[in-house]
Amino acid sequence: MVLFAMVRHKASTLYLLLTLTLVLSLFTSSLAATKSTVAEIKSRGVLLWGSDAEGGAPYVFPDPKDPSTLIGFELEIAEAVAKELGVKAQLVQTAWDSLVPALERGDYDMAMNGLEIIPEREKKVLFSRPYYVYTLQLMVRKDEQDIKSIRDLSGKRVGTLAGAVAHETLKKIGNVDIRSYSAAWPYEDLALGRLDAVFLDTPITVYYGKPEVRLKYAGPPEGEGFYGIAMRKDDGELKKVVDSVLERLLRTGELKRMYEKWGLWDKAQAKLSNFSAASDAGSRFRMESADAPLHTFFPLLLKGAAVTVFLSVSSMALAILFGIWLTLTRLYGPRAAGVAATAYIEIYRGTPLLVQLFILYYGLPNVGITLSPLAAAILGLGMNYAAYEAEVYRAGMEAVPRGQMEAALSLGMGRALALRRIVFPQAFRISLPAVTNDFIALFKDSSIVSVIAMVELTKTYGILAATTLRYFELGLITAVLYFGMSYPLSILARKLEKKLKGQK
Amino acid sequence: MIKVRNLHKSFGEHCLFKGIDLDVARGEVVVLIGPSGSGKSTFLRCINGLEAFEQGEIHVDGIALHSLNRARPTHKDREAIRQVRLRVGMVFQQFNLFPHLSVLENIIEAPMRVLGVGRKTAEADALAFLSRVNIAGKQGRRPDNLSGGEQQRVAIARALAMKPHAMLFDEPTASLDPEMTGEVLAVIRALVNEGMTTLISTHEMGFAREVADRVLVFADGDVIESGAPEEIFTRPTHERTRTFLSRMLKKL
Repeated sequence: MVLFAMVRHKASTLYLLLTLTLVLSLFTSSLAATKSTVAEIKSRGVLLWGSDAEGGAPYVFPDPKDPSTLIGFELEIAEAVAKELGVKAQLVQTAWDSLVPALERGDYDMAMNGLEIIPEREKKVLFSRPYYVYTLQLMVRKDEQDIKSIRDLSGKRVGTLAGAVAHETLKKIGNVDIRSYSAAWPYEDLALGRLDAVFLDTPITVYYGKPEVRLKYAGPPEGEGFYGIAMRKDDGELKKVVDSVLERLLRTGELKRMYEKWGLWDKAQAKLSNFSAASDAGSRFRMESADAPLHTFFPLLLKGAAVTVFLSVSSMALAILFGIWLTLTRLYGPRAAGVAATAYIEIYRGTPLLVQLFILYYGLPNVGITLSPLAAAILGLGMNYAAYEAEVYRAGMEAVPRGQMEAALSLGMGRALALRRIVFPQAFRISLPAVTNDFIALFKDSSIVSVIAMVELTKTYGILAATTLRYFELGLITAVLYFGMSYPLSILARKLEKKLKGQK
Repeated sequence: MIKVRNLHKSFGEHCLFKGIDLDVARGEVVVLIGPSGSGKSTFLRCINGLEAFEQGEIHVDGIALHSLNRARPTHKDREAIRQVRLRVGMVFQQFNLFPHLSVLENIIEAPMRVLGVGRKTAEADALAFLSRVNIAGKQGRRPDNLSGGEQQRVAIARALAMKPHAMLFDEPTASLDPEMTGEVLAVIRALVNEGMTTLISTHEMGFAREVADRVLVFADGDVIESGAPEEIFTRPTHERTRTFLSRMLKKL
């Protein structure tokens, strides 16, 4: 009813109005600023830094004792940089493998999350001086006899982090069955026998692998390299600030104290390799995670749920408006526009939502349109679902018998009036169940937008669970939250349907 | 009142009308008979512009419809068709009541939105028309709570509420059970007796014979015979008319 009650003027006026609204909403986007980054940080009072807190211990992760605060050694470094600039540090949650593109498109001022300083990355970004010497550690099951170092990995299933140096190292060995993980670390899979080995950066190993009693280290740490803070190519000014902070932290011994606190000060930092010193930092973290009372997770999960609701409602509203516009264009617009609308529907239904989101978020900046994560998420979901909505409405319109339009015309009504008063209301009743279904589906599909830096309910769950490894309890809570939101919607829809049927 | 000249109409390759002429005087009742698919319905639908035609002219109350063969009629063409529809009411075989509106709303919708009649007047008129079609008291119902005969009578009331100068009935009783046919025919009979200019296509031969001033016999898109009902029903000149009538009589 609401949809069609809005249709107050002639169909053509409505058409124009909708077109305008859509075009406007498409191009409302923030364009990259031209000021120097340091000046901008100071004027906004916040240093934005990109990192992935999902499975992020000890780099940056939710505090097991209080999941609504983030902690980690990188967070401390970021805060030191922010302090130097006289501002506050704010983390922009971004999937690890998207850290560099998101930096390039200007989502934040710097990225820091165990990004190895390697030539491939140096081509794209500017690195600070190193702040950590990483090594890579191979882990296997306790009963493993054959794998003693990475040279024994041929033909074995090995878990690692996609895009990391560990991943590249494995590739060079050849004939390794590499399984890529992003945030949920593969140690559980290794313990269960789904993998033969796991090869990852030592800090991750210390926090996620070492505490696992069914596993052991295989051989000494391999390779050695530097983590650096990534900045955009033209941000030399910011690099100077960052470097001076790192240099001071190192000189004053602050960095060493920091790493010791996190159990990361190993002899590798002084070019030696011995990780036994770090052993109980991870175990302590694991125990704290397991002991954190469940209710401490609620504020974060509820915040995620609120984002999910806002996202779903906004993108469904967009999908409905745009869907109506597509349907009208298809049925009553000029022929060329109708063809374009049909093409749009087919393309959007025939390509994955994930790809559409990536193009919208990381692709459009190439042509000068930089959408905020929220705008991209709403637009991406809305434009995708609009294609499905348009199909639903078309089916609804076609299900209204021709005789209805003919009867209305024979009474002297114009086409627009007949559509508005006679055809639309009936089409709406026919479409309603499908629209409700779509809304519930969108509600759950909204979790996919976490790939473009939106932290909604599922992503919140992912971050909390990957860090604390409490997948089961937190998963149940998350599922209950989703269900608690979608079930009332189903009931409402059923009631509405019944009411409309009764009216018939 | 209604003048048809040299009407040509085809559906794709299939040519239906190859030049039909007809004049209907004010107050005249013309009944169209003939086998299914012979073009009766299409002919009626051409008159109020629900079907476009390729060639010929139709004049209704002085309004001319002729350039309707265009794929995209101009605004003027559309307006001409609308003016014709305002003067000619139509009743369909399938009733085509609006299922989402009550009986009363079905009737007042067009007078209020098209003619700009106030709600009070429109409702009073509607109730009067409802009692005229013997269905008083059911204005609050939804169409699907009514019998077929009742629905068709509401459809007649809905058309009459626009105060048309002429009425087209397209097989008004063909989807009705026999026991409901009578009540609908009674309403049409009363309307005809009041002097409404009427065109009816029907298979009800007895009714045709009773109310018609003139009968047209359609076959394959042609009017093969036309004349007073007594002539057509008792002394048909055309062989096909004879075959058709005997078949219809056998059915009875």
